[in-house]
Amino acid sequence: MAQARIGNRTLSVSIATAALIATAVAGAQTSVGRGARDPIRATVIVGSEGKGMFVGAGIPDGNRPIFAAQNGAVPAGIEPLPHDIFTTTDFYKDRDLWSDARYYRCNSAVGLEQIWGAYEVPLIGDDPPRSAAWGFCDRDYPREEIVSPYGFKTAKAHYAALLAETKAKGGPTAYTQATLPDWNGRYRRQREKTASWFNGAILQIPTYLTLLTPEYQKRFVQQMYHYSGSNAAQWPGSYCWPEGFMRRLAQYGGGEVSFVMTPDLILDLRNAAKTLITQIHIGREFDESGAVPRLGPDVAQWFGETIGFWDGEALITWTSNIQGWISHGGFEFSNKLQSIEIYTPRKNANGVFVGIKHEIVLYDDEAFVEPVRIVHNLDKQRDLNEGDPFVIMECVPQSFPVDGHTTPMSPGQVVEYRVPDIYGRPWAQIWERYHEEGMERPREQTGRFGL
Amino acid sequence: MKRRVLSAALGAAVSACLVQGAAAHHSFAMYDVGKTYVMTGIVTRVDPNPNHLQIFFAPLNEARDQVLKDDAGEPIVWAVEMDGAAISARHGISVNGFPRGTIISVGLHPLRNGFAGGGRGKSGLFKCPADTPPAPGKHCDSVPGSTSHGEGVLPQPTENAPARPKS
Repeated sequence: MAQARIGNRTLSVSIATAALIATAVAGAQTSVGRGARDPIRATVIVGSEGKGMFVGAGIPDGNRPIFAAQNGAVPAGIEPLPHDIFTTTDFYKDRDLWSDARYYRCNSAVGLEQIWGAYEVPLIGDDPPRSAAWGFCDRDYPREEIVSPYGFKTAKAHYAALLAETKAKGGPTAYTQATLPDWNGRYRRQREKTASWFNGAILQIPTYLTLLTPEYQKRFVQQMYHYSGSNAAQWPGSYCWPEGFMRRLAQYGGGEVSFVMTPDLILDLRNAAKTLITQIHIGREFDESGAVPRLGPDVAQWFGETIGFWDGEALITWTSNIQGWISHGGFEFSNKLQSIEIYTPRKNANGVFVGIKHEIVLYDDEAFVEPVRIVHNLDKQRDLNEGDPFVIMECVPQSFPVDGHTTPMSPGQVVEYRVPDIYGRPWAQIWERYHEEGMERPREQTGRFGL
Repeated sequence: MKRRVLSAALGAAVSACLVQGAAAHHSFAMYDVGKTYVMTGIVTRVDPNPNHLQIFFAPLNEARDQVLKDDAGEPIVWAVEMDGAAISARHGISVNGFPRGTIISVGLHPLRNGFAGGGRGKSGLFKCPADTPPAPGKHCDSVPGSTSHGEGVLPQPTENAPARPKS
């Protein structure tokens, strides 16, 4: 049973047991650090009225509208809170309500992100934001399907265990260019809304918050407020700011993946507003003398630095030295974020390679209360030298923040521009300057020397 | 005399360009290399830009016990630009190495337009021991236990930095 907290009640959501068991059996774990069964598919979660799909609200392409009530109405059987994220005057003061799904009108993170029409039909109603739609309060995605099943506290321990396991079998496997698994090619990531919890559409926000530390809960709710209450999204890509590490795993980032394989370096190439490149250095070791493990100088990198090894057909990697950032609609992460990623081949019934399974375990003890896992499937589409070439994305700014709102500008137009502090949560700087007047934001304490 | 000043300025400009990175992504002509300030302050942030790392700092008063503030009571923050983040990190200049609150001394050639910023040029950069400011009127290179980051010493200032730069 999956459970969602609605006020003092805990609602249960049934999961199609047969499908869950089938999934579990298919993924029997034989390793200490990989191969756990895949997280259950959201499509096997069924709400009380028999509908599957995601929490909502939203109207995804090719689907019927997903909302429980709209335009000021309240779903039957739900008692709304006196005020919620659409009507609050200060979301910081509402911390006691953050863990109640009704505070968000049972919308998912993506439900809130799109409620003014970010990429779907708006469901904000005739008297925005008061008239915003409701999602389904009786649906949620199980938290236990999100957290890591492996029990390691750190990426270092996880990687070490996998490496030790591989060495015990005589590995790591050494390949030449001739014997290397031929994963060269272009892949399409399965990225429908229900494909992963990280796509933000299948879990209630209170469930999301249980994954985060108090500071990062505050940041997440701040982001949610500015999608819903103030309609002031600040997506990094809209300003050609860096896209950041997690963007490669987001629903609308990194959908097409190219792999370029050599024995000592593997490139994982993706695109969002900018090109997202992961360089996997086979057989190297991190310098662990600094704040976080790294390969190069003590400078955090937007996509981190990655080492890896082969265990037979499994490619196992560790990424560290990542610049803290945000992927819009998702959590913020710190410079402590590290990932263990396992790429394994997917084959059809005839043993023919058809794609790659990409399992990602994320460690960040500043942002997460425990490690979390994302599993993606990549389907091989074509060879590297087939079809349109991979595009190197150079983002050219065309939108600027005007009075705190992302605004496309035309050549010749004049805009007052406040230089953002890129390494100081620039999205939040805009929110706090333009859209939080009168709110009592927790302040940093003044330090020595009056600073 | 005039020729000597021009020559020195040209030499400083060339040095600045050489030091500030063969892969410089902007001209350095915005800096007035005929002027040199030497400043001691508290780091507010390091911007690890891959092209030119910047240290933002709030200058300390002559007594070295408070940062300078504007009319609104907010700290005045200067920026000093130098080599890219990777080269700087090899000299120990990084986000981790210079956290908020670090006390530094550096020389800089100020922006011609009077804003609160400058290029480090060939100046040395010194970090005081934690929570140990220099004596009044002194800089970090005078504090036992201070560390030097990159080549150079603190230069002779041509004048004092303005107490109220343009903003």
